[in-house]
Amino acid sequence: MSETAKIILVLFQLLTIASALLVTFSPNILYASISLLFAFLGVAIMFLYAGADFLAGVQVIVYIGGVTILVLFAIMLTSWMYQVKLRDSRAKLIVPLLLALFGLLPFLYQGAQHLASRVLRTVPPDFEAFAFSPKTNAVGEALLGNYLLPFEGITVLLLGALVGAVWLARPK
Amino acid sequence: MSFLDWATGLHGYLFVGTILATLGIIAVVYRRNSIGVLLGIELLLNAASINFISFSKFRTAAIDGQIFALFIIIIAAAEAAVALAIILRLYRLRETIDAGEANLMRN
Repeated sequence: MSETAKIILVLFQLLTIASALLVTFSPNILYASISLLFAFLGVAIMFLYAGADFLAGVQVIVYIGGVTILVLFAIMLTSWMYQVKLRDSRAKLIVPLLLALFGLLPFLYQGAQHLASRVLRTVPPDFEAFAFSPKTNAVGEALLGNYLLPFEGITVLLLGALVGAVWLARPK
Repeated sequence: MSFLDWATGLHGYLFVGTILATLGIIAVVYRRNSIGVLLGIELLLNAASINFISFSKFRTAAIDGQIFALFIIIIAAAEAAVALAIILRLYRLRETIDAGEANLMRN
């Protein structure tokens, strides 16, 4: 990868982290869901750089085009945008923030970085070529080959979720 | 190793995944708004996808991690649809979407 490509990837990683911070800490739920859209976009670009071009497209279509719009619809249907009652109070943030910063984040960080260092000792020789080859064909063959049973299972799950969502949202 | 190599390699990918997972946990615990809890869950699932994708590139250079990430995306979409249906139902019954007010399994 060239230096310019790396700088672009780092910028999108920073965009992801900044948007995720807004998602968690913004008191206004509308701003939080809009910034979730940018977090999804940054994750899609990270997928693209890691050789998952098909996954990046699916991420944009399903998350940005589907889930975010669904969440925005739910917000518009359930509350007025600037209703004070639904804003989260800063005072209740202290305990979860301390627990996460000093209880969870150090362990996750140490574990992940240690794992990365161990994995990189046996790195496959052709991973740069893997990252820049098209994947749609391979994903399709894997879905209808090795992963046929999970694929069929997930179609049943989607049908169940669809029927369940319609039944839950029925009028009284 | 320069910062750019660190950030665009496996360490950087796992670092972003770690941050997203921590922020998702904080959102799930701290938000009183049910939709905010849902946003935190989406962040958690994205962190898991990032880890699958990065190990798929840097460890195996094979397609399997991407298939798992695809299943995660599908499950997240189904979960979001059901969760939003539950939130709309809660709003219709209780006139609020405060997670602390949802204290009954039946109406």
